[in-house]
Amino acid sequence: MKSAPTLSSAFLEPAGSHLPGPLLELRRQRGTAIVDMPLPTRRTENWKYSSRHLKLSDELAASLPASGQQGASLSMPGYRVVFHNGIMIPEASDFPDIAGVLIQRFCDLDDDEAAALAERLDNTLDNHAVQMARLNSARFEDGLYIRLDKEAVLDQPLFIIHEVNASSVGSAYPRIYVDAARHSQMTLVEEYISSGTEPVMVNTVTEFVLAEGAQVTGVRLTAEGESVQHIGATGVRQAATSRFESHCVGFGGPLRRHDLRVSLEGEGAGCKLNGVVVTQGKQHYDNHTSIEHVAAHCDSEETYRNIAADESHAVFNGRIHIHQDAQKSNANMNNKNLLLSTGAEIDTKPELEIYADDVKCAHGATIGQLDKISLFYLVSRGIGRREANTLLTMAFINELVEQIPVEAVQGAVQLRLNDFFNQAFQEV
Amino acid sequence: MLSIKNLHASVGGEEILKGINLEIKAGEVHAIMGPNGSGKSTLSQVLAGSESFEVTAGEITLNGENLLELATEERAREGVFLAFQYPVEIPGVSNLQFLRTAVNAMRTHHGEPEMNAAEFMKHAKEVSRQVDLDPAFLKRGVNEGFSGGEKKRNEILQALLLQPKLAILDETDSGLDIDALQVVSRGVNALRAEDRAILMVTHYQRLLNHIVPDYVHVLAGGRIVKSGGRELALELEERGYGWLGVKDEEATAS
Repeated sequence: MKSAPTLSSAFLEPAGSHLPGPLLELRRQRGTAIVDMPLPTRRTENWKYSSRHLKLSDELAASLPASGQQGASLSMPGYRVVFHNGIMIPEASDFPDIAGVLIQRFCDLDDDEAAALAERLDNTLDNHAVQMARLNSARFEDGLYIRLDKEAVLDQPLFIIHEVNASSVGSAYPRIYVDAARHSQMTLVEEYISSGTEPVMVNTVTEFVLAEGAQVTGVRLTAEGESVQHIGATGVRQAATSRFESHCVGFGGPLRRHDLRVSLEGEGAGCKLNGVVVTQGKQHYDNHTSIEHVAAHCDSEETYRNIAADESHAVFNGRIHIHQDAQKSNANMNNKNLLLSTGAEIDTKPELEIYADDVKCAHGATIGQLDKISLFYLVSRGIGRREANTLLTMAFINELVEQIPVEAVQGAVQLRLNDFFNQAFQEV
Repeated sequence: MLSIKNLHASVGGEEILKGINLEIKAGEVHAIMGPNGSGKSTLSQVLAGSESFEVTAGEITLNGENLLELATEERAREGVFLAFQYPVEIPGVSNLQFLRTAVNAMRTHHGEPEMNAAEFMKHAKEVSRQVDLDPAFLKRGVNEGFSGGEKKRNEILQALLLQPKLAILDETDSGLDIDALQVVSRGVNALRAEDRAILMVTHYQRLLNHIVPDYVHVLAGGRIVKSGGRELALELEERGYGWLGVKDEEATAS
């Protein structure tokens, strides 16, 4: 029998030593910890459908250079931070000094700040469940640290544009850490885009830590090109009465993977997780979410929708874990899926683990096709088939797109969706 | 305008229409009545081009054009309109977007410029008042959460916006209270025009008190078994369908 594949040592040679000492040290330790780390195979339950799309050749281990040109990004009203290949580009970034808000790249932190951050990083994700995030911890070359002081409010969304420059083969490791003190508020938009056509891998980690009463909204738009493998992880920890909202919109690629883990650790905390995924051609998209109801009286509401065209494949795995002390938990999970062709595949799996006895936990999943009667209704009014298909498919996800709280993102998502539909329905 | 000759249609191998012949001239209003299961709704759906049914024989022409060769959307653009018995709810598509897309598809087909959102909104609001539908319904999902009466009014609204040559109204009166029936009838009467044919399919004759047809046909067992003027509807109301059916024939024979 073949022995299980392990991470090539080529991936354990981080380039870029601009980080402050304590973060370099953290990175070194994390690297040591993943020597010979087994790579997921199809026998690895949480990578069952995606492991065959994970292609980590030694060439991909190369650290992508920090400079590059900016691809087509959102035009956004708000504050902006631009990263190329995981490295911040200060001259392309634009945000003011705001009282009570620190927005700083990792490379600019002094040793004390960096030491404090090093203590805090890597505390939101579960190493076993989100194994690929460990690679980010061993490889990040920069990152963005956002700290909101008590009651600080970021008055406009902060856009973080992560562009990967696929003009040479390699990988990038974007990293974000958000520390929201009591009753602070912010909206963060992460946009992942690419330019160039060489094979690259983007491995991201974003962490949010919300203190009591903090309110944070995270929007994540994944729209890189066809040569990009994207493996992202988001970890969230929430103290009492804090609220976290997540809106993820993903367009398929050779491999798209997002792990989202939210831990409700203080009473009265709540989260709302929305996700939309569209795939076409031979694309693959895999969303794994996990909500930990640790404390009592917490709410979670999760709605994910997938649309798969052609021979593409979408995966949704939604785990809800209600701990023994989490009485009066209220958890709702819903996943609806739309197959646009007979060659497409969608796999959905709810995973509920409930150890408390006084909880409300509901889940539902459906997989369907466009409704023929609705289609007949539309075309009987003279609407062309392609347009009718588009209207019905849009309808399937509109409810979620309309909930994205940043208009610029809604607009950008609509435009990209239109492109998607134009391609998905061109044969009809 | 509409000519149906020896039309046979089946679903899942079972023949529902067994040789329909019907001629409707421009400006005329015809009513098709018949007991449940007689094939009334099938006829409406087949005319509109539903793919649920297979036409096995016969022909349908509209102003000389062979409808059977046209896809559903092409028939609609040539002027066929079906008001559904059960209008479909489509959450996520706004009624306004739906109506505008339909109207613009029609305009494009006729070489007219598309209406922009503002123009269309104004137009749609006016027409919706004509059928007593609060313009707020334009912003809701297509038929989403509409009452039975609101759905039927939304159908008539569509007919008024699309200005078809042939309007087929499938059980437009079903599920309507008397007030709603009057509103809907007013809308249908507004559709009456010299260059338009209307085909009403109904189980009850009460609709025909409000929309007076020129001709009434009785459909039973997939065939038109009797045709007449308006008085036929009144007779049906009085005597039911029994006297036209097989049983009655047997009764006469005995």
